[in-house]
Amino acid sequence: MAPSFLFSQFMGGLTTAMFLFLIASGLSLVFGIMRVINFAHGSFYMIGAYLAWQMVQWVHPAGAGFWIAALFAASGVAVMGAVIERLFFRSLYGREELYQLLFTYALVLILGDAAKFVWGTQQLSVSTPPVLAGSVQIFGSTQPLYSLFMIALGPAIAFGGWLVLNRSGVGRMVRAAQMDREMLDALGANVGTIYTGMFVFSSFLAGLSGALVTPIQSIVPGMDVLIIVQAFIVVVIGGMGSFWGTFWGSVIYGEVLSFGILIFPGFSLFSVFALMAVILIVRPWGLFGRPL
Amino acid sequence: MRLRHHLGLLLAAAASLPFAASAEDSIKIGFPIPLSGPTAVYGEPILKGAEMAVAEINAKGGVLGRKLELLSRDSKASADEAVRLSRELIIKDNVDFLAGTLTSAEAPAVSTVAKENKIVFIAPTAKSMILTDAAHIHPYIFRIASNTDVEGLAGATLMAKFQEVKSVATIAPDYAYGRDAAAAFIAALKKIRPDIQVVDQQWPKLGEPDFTAFINAQMSKKPDAIYCSLFAGDFVTFTKQATPLGYFKAINYRLIDGGEIGTPDEAQALGADYPYGVIANAYDPVIWNGAEPPEHKKFIEDLKVFAKAQYASGWSIVGYEAIYALAAGINKAGDTKSDDVSKALAGLSFDTPVGKRSFSVQSHETFAPEYWGVTAKDPSYPFATIKDPQALPTSFPTN
Repeated sequence: MAPSFLFSQFMGGLTTAMFLFLIASGLSLVFGIMRVINFAHGSFYMIGAYLAWQMVQWVHPAGAGFWIAALFAASGVAVMGAVIERLFFRSLYGREELYQLLFTYALVLILGDAAKFVWGTQQLSVSTPPVLAGSVQIFGSTQPLYSLFMIALGPAIAFGGWLVLNRSGVGRMVRAAQMDREMLDALGANVGTIYTGMFVFSSFLAGLSGALVTPIQSIVPGMDVLIIVQAFIVVVIGGMGSFWGTFWGSVIYGEVLSFGILIFPGFSLFSVFALMAVILIVRPWGLFGRPL
Repeated sequence: MRLRHHLGLLLAAAASLPFAASAEDSIKIGFPIPLSGPTAVYGEPILKGAEMAVAEINAKGGVLGRKLELLSRDSKASADEAVRLSRELIIKDNVDFLAGTLTSAEAPAVSTVAKENKIVFIAPTAKSMILTDAAHIHPYIFRIASNTDVEGLAGATLMAKFQEVKSVATIAPDYAYGRDAAAAFIAALKKIRPDIQVVDQQWPKLGEPDFTAFINAQMSKKPDAIYCSLFAGDFVTFTKQATPLGYFKAINYRLIDGGEIGTPDEAQALGADYPYGVIANAYDPVIWNGAEPPEHKKFIEDLKVFAKAQYASGWSIVGYEAIYALAAGINKAGDTKSDDVSKALAGLSFDTPVGKRSFSVQSHETFAPEYWGVTAKDPSYPFATIKDPQALPTSFPTN
């Protein structure tokens, strides 16, 4: 096998990984800090994609308004997240997982139908912003500029997130809320605001990833459910609630998928699910997680 | 006061009686079809086509003097759900016939229900061979769409015309339809052009969000041309990821796709990002960039009004044909007993907006050709259209 081909495959896997990381990191954060498994996270991602498409139609259908659209979509989903957290999630904290699962699943159905009602069932598409539409030659392989942009953005967000969580006052509060909610409450900190803030941030990431995925994927009903399954696999591999775990989980998922089809061309998903099964047996709390 | 209230209710009930009576008298057709989830993209236009056929037939006085009544249900593209709905339609709603379903998972499942209950079932779109092959055929199943053998032969015929092509690769969704279509294409190509090598086959799953790995792997084998069975949202995603990787340029746009990517439905979604120059097909090209049959022109004009759409869908025609085929069968049989209608349908010719079709006596197939051609920019439309659509294959070993 030519080295340029292996490099292409590697970069392709990395691009997949960075998209998954953007989505899964929000899911993992909310679980890690609030102990809520948000099944509707994929729906937030889908709404982000639709909002981005809508904004592009309004601003400039040829794609020039893409960045404004992405920001608009991410902010829109963040606002939606704030409303949903304040109105509904609030009463779920500390409840049994079953209630959370039922509620967030109901949210999946409601948001799915709402999106269908507003945007219909037709597949939609957004053009790549002209700046990133081309490709460059690296080591004799063709690399789309948009992939390179994603590969740069992923680690930047991971590092930024880590910096905020571990090196700032806000991060200290968040980590304290994760460790002992009641104690922090007793010390006079406003845990409710911290939770809302985290949920909004997680929604923002979901909306942003939904918007950023539109230049390379079609927007269709059902993309919410598809992505949530992949995001869960990533989080399971990396470890629930671990930020870096989610990052490396995504990289492993992307690369295993990318190289897996070279080994088992007829079973494209086999490698990923096999990996998840092995990790669940050997290390059920994930590669970077802690035993619960 | 109270009495008057009751009186009002009674009057309302009495007023609704004549309608109830006419509904009792109508010929009921159960129509399970995906109306939610990703495949609702096709379910809805197919249902629209069927509804328009029912409206047209009823406006002309119905069939055997009775109105047609369509009972549509959301099958969610699931075989289990389609089966459950079909049983419910038969037992609770007393439907006389079944039509509908979308995928090659739903249709064979509903076909078994039709067989058990001895009720005629007309499948508009499912293409998999197992629907009507020797092991699964029964008196009550009929198919409107092309099947994968017909589609593969058409694809191979077009591929064979590329004299310079020495190697091909396939990419198809990993389920019954994709597997059957790729196999049929290769089998037909081996007969027409035995000199062409098949160098690679990729099987992304249905609804795959990321084709990059498959695209790179395929490009590394350096095929001269591609036979592709990706369709709808999958083809949109695939194109957006393949274009920046130089995939279409590397094969000089010699890609033949059998997944109805020549419909305005698909072309509109991609707009300027469409890989102009690839060879596409459609049940109905809708925008007929060539010699258009006059019946087709009228059909599309009516459909645009009926569906309130700027451009009509390329999928409505199969739903429309299914209802007209059934109506022709009932007319010929002279009653609505499925046993009689089934006998009437076998070998029956019926009119469609794109010419006559007839059900084979043995396999209950129409062996319908589809419309194929090179996709091109048409200045009157902001999306790709098929240039001079040809019905292919021109002949097929029917049985």
